[in-house]
Amino acid sequence: MTAPVAGHAPAGEAGTLGRENVRAVAAARGLAPEDLEIRLRADASSALVVLVLFSVAIAWLLIGSIFGDIASLKLHWPDFLTRQGWLTFGRVRTAHLHAVNYGWATAALIGTSVWLLPRLMHNELKAPLVALAGGVLFTLGIAVGIIGVLAGYTDGMEWLEANRYTAGPLLVVGGGLVGLSLFLTVAARRAEHLYVSAWYILGAFIWFPMLYVTGKWPTWTGVESAAANWFFAHNVLGFWLTAMSVGAAYYFIPKVLGRPIYSYQLSVVGFWSLAMFYSLNGMHHLVGGPLPTWMITTSIVASVFMFIPVVATGINLHMTVVGRFGALRYSPTLRFVVLGAIAYTAVSLQGSFTALREVNRVTHFTHWTVAHSHVGGYAFVTFVAFGAMYYIVPRVVGHEWPSARLVRWHFNTVLAGIAIYVISLTWAGVAQGLALLDARLPFQVSVERSVPGLYGRSLGGLILTIGHVIFAWHFWRMIRMPTGAQPTRPPLHEAQPVLYTDEAEAARPRQGAV
Amino acid sequence: MIPSSVPVILATAALTLLAAVVLAWAYWRGFFDNLDAQSRVIFEPKDFQLERPWETPVERLEREMSHGKLVDPAPGEWGGAS
Amino acid sequence: MTRISLIALGAFAIMAGAICILVLVPQALLSDVQPPPQLAPYTERQLVGRRVYMANGCVYCHSQQVRDPAFTTDVDRGWGSRATVPADYAYDRPHLLGTMRTGPDLINVGQRLPDADWHLIHLYDPRSVVDWSLMPAFPFLFEEKSPNEVRPGDRVVRIPGPRARRGVAVVAKPEAIALVDYLISLKRQYPVADTAAGMRTAFGGRNGAH
Repeated sequence: MTAPVAGHAPAGEAGTLGRENVRAVAAARGLAPEDLEIRLRADASSALVVLVLFSVAIAWLLIGSIFGDIASLKLHWPDFLTRQGWLTFGRVRTAHLHAVNYGWATAALIGTSVWLLPRLMHNELKAPLVALAGGVLFTLGIAVGIIGVLAGYTDGMEWLEANRYTAGPLLVVGGGLVGLSLFLTVAARRAEHLYVSAWYILGAFIWFPMLYVTGKWPTWTGVESAAANWFFAHNVLGFWLTAMSVGAAYYFIPKVLGRPIYSYQLSVVGFWSLAMFYSLNGMHHLVGGPLPTWMITTSIVASVFMFIPVVATGINLHMTVVGRFGALRYSPTLRFVVLGAIAYTAVSLQGSFTALREVNRVTHFTHWTVAHSHVGGYAFVTFVAFGAMYYIVPRVVGHEWPSARLVRWHFNTVLAGIAIYVISLTWAGVAQGLALLDARLPFQVSVERSVPGLYGRSLGGLILTIGHVIFAWHFWRMIRMPTGAQPTRPPLHEAQPVLYTDEAEAARPRQGAV
Repeated sequence: MIPSSVPVILATAALTLLAAVVLAWAYWRGFFDNLDAQSRVIFEPKDFQLERPWETPVERLEREMSHGKLVDPAPGEWGGAS
Repeated sequence: MTRISLIALGAFAIMAGAICILVLVPQALLSDVQPPPQLAPYTERQLVGRRVYMANGCVYCHSQQVRDPAFTTDVDRGWGSRATVPADYAYDRPHLLGTMRTGPDLINVGQRLPDADWHLIHLYDPRSVVDWSLMPAFPFLFEEKSPNEVRPGDRVVRIPGPRARRGVAVVAKPEAIALVDYLISLKRQYPVADTAAGMRTAFGGRNGAH
């Protein structure tokens, strides 16, 4: 179980960075670095950065889960933990949002992208120290932002609360350094073609700075600040989290299945139509609000046009799997990523539907929106991140995950948790919304009818937290494991890992179901 | 439902035209040729030769005929533990 | 031009275009909107109160916007006499429009609930005045002293009913007083020439639903 996985590049005995690790892995196989397989070189060069980012991500996942649980409990037990200001609902909720979106999801997806891009470019990660420094600074920025929010310092707009003077510089420099490393890696590419996942990753790193500057521009006031706010908050989902998640899905699904994506032409359509339509969606958070009607209508129309990229991407990701769903039994990565892709299609269609005025008048201002955001942020983005991590980590630490049982428990737990969460909260939101629409019913009724669903959401959230603890524990065991007595020196007959042609390999027991 | 603001309509029309021009130019420059080859850039020959436990014997045979003798996957090849 | 540059440029251009359409163009057109003469700018204390509102995340449960009565029931519900318009938010920096109504809309709460003492009690212990409320309590905005420590000038808050504090004097801190001052200032009921015109202001388009 702790045997080195043949063909996988361990992180090196001292956790060495970049080029040094490539040399170490090559030396272990008796090769010069240039002769090492491209895939192994790519993995070895990014290994340490990826592991640090994933560790940071999982820490944020646990922290964010606890904040989320506290916030959820407070909504139906309002006298829970009210004595201290730093634990009040309005601050804990924001801490949760930042910890899970900018902490967990961002770090996990950047880690995935840092691993993926060298592979896609058929070269090594360039300036890995810069990427590592960037990741650390960015994380620090998030932490500073969250601590500030808990202490009562906020810049006031949802998704943009982190203080622009203390957290801001750390976020900007950190993110910029990671982007620099990735752009240098692209500039040094050896691949003949640029796979679609690379477009999404590059796009994300071009788009996020533009969104951040727009959202944080200090002169916005009044309703124009609302437009800038929701321009940022909606587009950060589509052009940062979704972009990197879809990019990852476009890689892992065909890669594990061993068949190319269903229609590459559709991926071109999907990418550009996503860019064109998603970018205009933001005002659908303000339907009925005090903004010029043309802006809201533009966003509603763009939200409906989202059918085009969503169907294009959906066809690609789903049709590639059709006929091979049996693979999900053998591959936890596929289990997570395929379900994540299905959730992406579902949440996007739900979003288009919700933007319509007739539907929006029921759902706006209710728990429906929070449920919807968790279908996207959890069932889609988080699931893709889990699937990616299950695939990537063995390839950077040089051995497989120690326990199939923990993988199964993790999957089953978070699947149950998110299902309970989404169903309860959606139901609460609809009940709340219908009650709000009936002016004869006092406001009290909308509150009381949502409470059972709020209890259900807490239950779902607690189950999710258990799943995260299981995953974090497994990850801890994984990175603490020694890679065996001979971590970087496989037996001689494994020195050529490309083809398993000798008897020793043929006699190895076949891959079983996980 | 059509936004009646003139600046918006003009801006949208201009941007759409620009996008169409760029798209046409990219097509003319050959960026959309050989898209199938592009979809295979993530694979090594070995990826096609791996024996996948979920595939039917017919699928395995097809794979072997197109890509050569199948090889065993490494433990944990599909992500997760075995 | 390489493929990379094309993708990068295309991505940048599309986003720049969207920023123009949804942020820059509106900003230019909205900069003509004048604050209504009946709307006073926030006082210093009200601005402190507004920052307390932001610091404690009130916006995550409370909205501050009334939607068109032709569209939905905000007006029927008593949350305002008319829909709010961009001019109503001229002094809001940043906006606090909100996206959740776990609690009621507040843009006209100063009209509905003008009593500062009620607000202080409600902030200290919401369930003492609204027993079905899910709002968190904010005791940290108050000092709890023994009754003989109360000084002249202290704003003592008397909690009514079964949840009254025995042997403890609840004194509002300046933050609580500022917050309540801000809340009571929230009134947007003055007429604007024509709500639809208020939405039309600098450009065409009719307010409201189909």
